[in-house]
Amino acid sequence: MASHTSRGLLSLGRISASALGLQRPLSRVTYATNVSTNYSAGKTGLPDRGAGKFARRPRRAPGEPRTEKMPVDQDWTAVYPAAAPFRPGSVPLPVRMGYPVKRGVPPEKKGNLELIKIPNFLHLTPAAIKKHCEALKPFCTEWPSALDTDARCDAHFPIKAESTDYVSAGPSVRNPAARTVHLKVKLSSLNLDDHAFKKMLKLVGERYCRDTDTLTITADRCPLRQQNHDHAMYLLTVLYHESWKTEPWEAEKSVADMEEYSWEDSPSQRNLLDTLVRVEAAGEGGGGGEEVREQLLGRREVQEYKDSVTRLKNEGESESTVMLYKEAVKKVLNL
Amino acid sequence: MSGRYALDSGCVVKVPRALGACSANKTCNIIRSRLPLASSTYFHTATVFSSQPSSITVTKEPDALFQRVSLLVKGHDKSVLDSYELFATMAAKELGIAISKVCELPKDTERFTLLKSVHIFKNHRVQYEMRTHYRFIELSHLTGSTAQVYLEYVQRNLPEGVAMEVTKTAMEKVPDHILKPMWEEDPIDNKLSQG
Repeated sequence: MASHTSRGLLSLGRISASALGLQRPLSRVTYATNVSTNYSAGKTGLPDRGAGKFARRPRRAPGEPRTEKMPVDQDWTAVYPAAAPFRPGSVPLPVRMGYPVKRGVPPEKKGNLELIKIPNFLHLTPAAIKKHCEALKPFCTEWPSALDTDARCDAHFPIKAESTDYVSAGPSVRNPAARTVHLKVKLSSLNLDDHAFKKMLKLVGERYCRDTDTLTITADRCPLRQQNHDHAMYLLTVLYHESWKTEPWEAEKSVADMEEYSWEDSPSQRNLLDTLVRVEAAGEGGGGGEEVREQLLGRREVQEYKDSVTRLKNEGESESTVMLYKEAVKKVLNL
Repeated sequence: MSGRYALDSGCVVKVPRALGACSANKTCNIIRSRLPLASSTYFHTATVFSSQPSSITVTKEPDALFQRVSLLVKGHDKSVLDSYELFATMAAKELGIAISKVCELPKDTERFTLLKSVHIFKNHRVQYEMRTHYRFIELSHLTGSTAQVYLEYVQRNLPEGVAMEVTKTAMEKVPDHILKPMWEEDPIDNKLSQG
């Protein structure tokens, strides 16, 4: 039944066309009706669109792709002005991508999903980048020419504040690690005297690196980066002012608290002077106590011994320091 | 102190240089004559050189100074990172930014082994791996405005599936309150703390 009505409708619809004498629509009509007669009423699966009320207009053949009409010297930034998926009809390149079948070649670009999946940089050709940068240039400022080298930068701007930004795709744009701030200062650039420097080292502990003379303060206890930066500056200020203060209990500093080894009033000095005094006494048979000690201290070999022992203790054991110590001992004891 | 550049909301930049403007306008006209569609399709080129004049405001706030800005780009595909590195380095060169280092860090591979079957068959497993490739670009001596411009440009054109970490080292002067210890001026505070 449906097929009969459809044929009738089709014929009605095409009357005007046939009146004009066009042959093609008639042939199309016959094609459509042929299709509709095949679909009998028994088949209830898919609705027979060909015989339905709204006759499906047959698809027109796709024209030739745009790549054929593209001139060689065209403006590519107009073809791909922004990030867009790969369009085989817009890219005049014979690109092939994909794993080839046996004894075959990689598939062509037409209908190639691999080319669409991979991010393309067709919108970022050198010409496009130059155009973009030309437009962005007015917003950039120049670096001051007086700060070419790192040394000059450190001299004028000794405090460095380091922070990290994170860009990634995911359920959230935020990254909790972005709020940390590292403040790095060279203690030589701060106004610290000897006592203040030593007290500062004791206050900061592990945050100071001896090799680079850098104090690193890391702040991440506040939720915002600006707050962490202010907190780090506050910590630096407090450390500085506290290290200049001299508390009464600091007078109880003992030899164990000293940062560096000093030879004066050390067991090494006492031992050496005792030994030398006894040597002198054995040689000459008598002499004053204190004056002899001072005389001995003034001697060159004793000074050399003092230097070598101080170096050994402060710098640690290495070939040069141990050799120096050996030479000094030999000279002092006249070996 | 150099000023900070800010774009007025809704306005569009005007290219001040005559040479750039001439050639750009030419191409702009060509584009317009060919396809009189909405200019939004060519927002990169057409809207930049629009006829509406705009102003670049210079604020009094001093510009930040970055001694080093380092970009660490991570992705699963090495060729995508290669192209991105080309783009980033070319953009830096065009904007006049000094590039101190560009290198490729060794990739990280995360592997794990799972059971192939839903139930039993412990001896049959399947192994997966995820490879993360890295690219490290270090730029030096950038002002705050330049850094903002460059980073926004480079981050807007970050391809899909690529992540980036930007570490900025800002330089600052020693603040006034750290120049001298305060105990010299206010000995009373010292006494109070001791007591």
